[in-house]
This record gives sequence, C-alpha cells and structure tokens, in this order.
Amino acid sequence: MTMSEPAANPNTPAGMLEGDLVKRAQRGDLQAYDELVKRYQERIYATVYHMTSNHEDANDLAQEAFIKAYSALKSFKGGSTFYTWLYRIAVNKTINFLKQRKNKFHLSLNDIDFNAEHDPDLMALISDKTPTRDVALSELQKKLNEALLKLSEPHRMVVVLHDVQGQSHDEIAEIMGCNIGTVRSRLFYARQQLQGHLAGYIKS
Amino acid sequence: MNESQNDFRELKHLLKLKRHESPPPGFFEHFSDEVVNRIRAGEARSQSSVAERLNDHAPWLVNFLRVFEAKPGLIGGFAASLCLLLVLGVVLAEHSESGPQNVFTTASTESASPDGSSAVPSAVPEFASVGAAEGGIAISTNASLQPVASLFGQASGASLFQPASFAPAH
Repeated sequence: MTMSEPAANPNTPAGMLEGDLVKRAQRGDLQAYDELVKRYQERIYATVYHMTSNHEDANDLAQEAFIKAYSALKSFKGGSTFYTWLYRIAVNKTINFLKQRKNKFHLSLNDIDFNAEHDPDLMALISDKTPTRDVALSELQKKLNEALLKLSEPHRMVVVLHDVQGQSHDEIAEIMGCNIGTVRSRLFYARQQLQGHLAGYIKS
Repeated sequence: MNESQNDFRELKHLLKLKRHESPPPGFFEHFSDEVVNRIRAGEARSQSSVAERLNDHAPWLVNFLRVFEAKPGLIGGFAASLCLLLVLGVVLAEHSESGPQNVFTTASTESASPDGSSAVPSAVPEFASVGAAEGGIAISTNASLQPVASLFGQASGASLFQPASFAPAH
C-alpha cells in the first residue's frame, strides 16, 4: 500500500486553483495574491535576471511587475492564462527598462549552484587547462552573460525563454505578442549571434 | 538544417549554465512579503493623496475637520446641534402643513385667471360676510392653518383667507 501525500486544503490559498486565487485577488484579497506571487516568483525573477544579468535590477523589476499586475488585475478578463498575462507584463517592463538604460550594462551575477559542477554537458565544455573548475565556471558564466547582453532585447528574450527556461514556441509567441514564425527566426538569428560571440568556448 | 542544429548543441549546453545561476539563499522566502508590503504602502499612499487633493481644493473643510481632531468633544456638540436643527425642522414642518396647499391654491387660481381676477379668493370673503350679514353661521378656520409667510414667502397668501367664526352673528 502506498501512502499518498495529503492534499492541500482547498480552503487555504495554498490549496486553491489559480482561477479562484485570481478572482479573490481581483476583489482585493492580498492573501490570495500573495499565493499567486509565491507560485510564479521564481520564474518571473529568473526571466528578468537572465535578461538583465543583474540581481538587484531583477529583484526590483520582478517586484514592480507583480505590483503592476495587481493594480491591473481588474482588467484581466481571462482571455489568456494568468501566467501568460503576468509574463507579458514582466517582459514588457524589462524591455522598457533595458531600452531606457541603453547599452550601460553592469553585471551583478548570481552564484552558480553546486549542481553545475555535476552537469556532464557543462563539464565537457571546460578546458582541461583551466586550473580549477570554479574559476572556469565563473569565467564561462561572465562570458556567456556578456554575449547575451550583446543581443537585441527581442532576440535575447527569445533565447532566454526557449533555451534557458524551456518555454515552447507557442508560449513565447503569446507572451511576446508575435507569431511563431517570428519566434523561430529570432531564435535562429540569436543563436547564430551567440555562437559567434562565444566562438572561443564552443567547438566549431 | 540538421547541421545548424548540431552546431547549436554545444551552445545549448553552454546556455544550461544560466539555469544554475541562483539568487542568494532565502531570497524567495521574503519576496512575496515585500511585494505585498509595497502594494499595501501604495494603497496607503493613494489614500493620503486623496487627503492632499482635498487640502488643495477645500482647505477650509480640512481645517474644519482638524478642529474636531484636536477637540473630540466638539464632535458631540456639533452632532447634538445638528440633531436639534433636524428636530426643529420637523416640528416647523408639522405646524405648517397647510402651507403647501395654499401655494397650490394660489398657483391654480392664478393660472386659471391670467388677468389676476380670481374667483375663489373673492368668493370666500363674500360667503363669510354674507353668512354673517344674514344671521347665519360665520365659518371660522383654525388660525394655525393660515399660511406661514416666513416659510414660503407668500405674503399675498394672507389675502386669500379671512378669519371666520362659527359664533352666531349678532
């Protein structure tokens, strides 16, 4: 006999469906909105962070995206999922921020977690001549982020959403408000650009 | 196309490194709290901005309300005086029940005879005076039913009625 995990109480925000939480939040229930923030905070933060390569900016922008979403929640009619709608707000906010900042980038990178050292694909990329793995990974991280920042915002966004966060072409098209063909062509062009910028780190 | 996909394989491996970039430990534990606190602060600020707008457009009202804040006892006095005014208004309205009727009468008679010669006003005094002259009973209306000129500004209304008496005419 297998013991199943007790189901979350559907009367508490943590156990509620997304639709119910959204309806409650639309009526001004901040507890419900707090639960929605908890559900999506990591993905929204990660998207903004990978776009800016700056932890402090990502923190501010992700918070502002959630605040803006709350203030605009009454206009959310459910035409798309809340998740897609929220993503769109975060993406637009980030792109506007990057356009205002223009090309003045300041890297403030997060640490690489322990699991990276156990990723065979990553380890295969590190040169044997590098003294220690830590140094190699941090150097690779810096070069990768610099290369990403050289892409235009729409191209960077497509790479981040697809190759880093694993979103489908359909989802990206909905989030970015363009068709799938545009997503595909942007992704191809962005990868080509990245490959050129990182030629020294990728076997040709 | 396959060639280009193979070329991108290493790039995709390299991009996997981004997934291992994590914010400081415990970062997400307080993230939602900060968002909710900022929303609450924003709501409080918008409420205070309403007070600021009121201060700009009606500073006298803000000063008036501040007096109450400084002396809470005044609120009771102000409320009591409002209640007193209300009661006075009700009492006065009860005493002047016939007032509106007179106004309508005046209005209807005036509209009935545009030239100003009204039949009804002249009939009442005539009837009363005839009754009195022929030894009949003179009609006496309650004095309180007469129009209150101060409430309705109908000074001419007094001419519509003539105090009469049921006392036998001598």
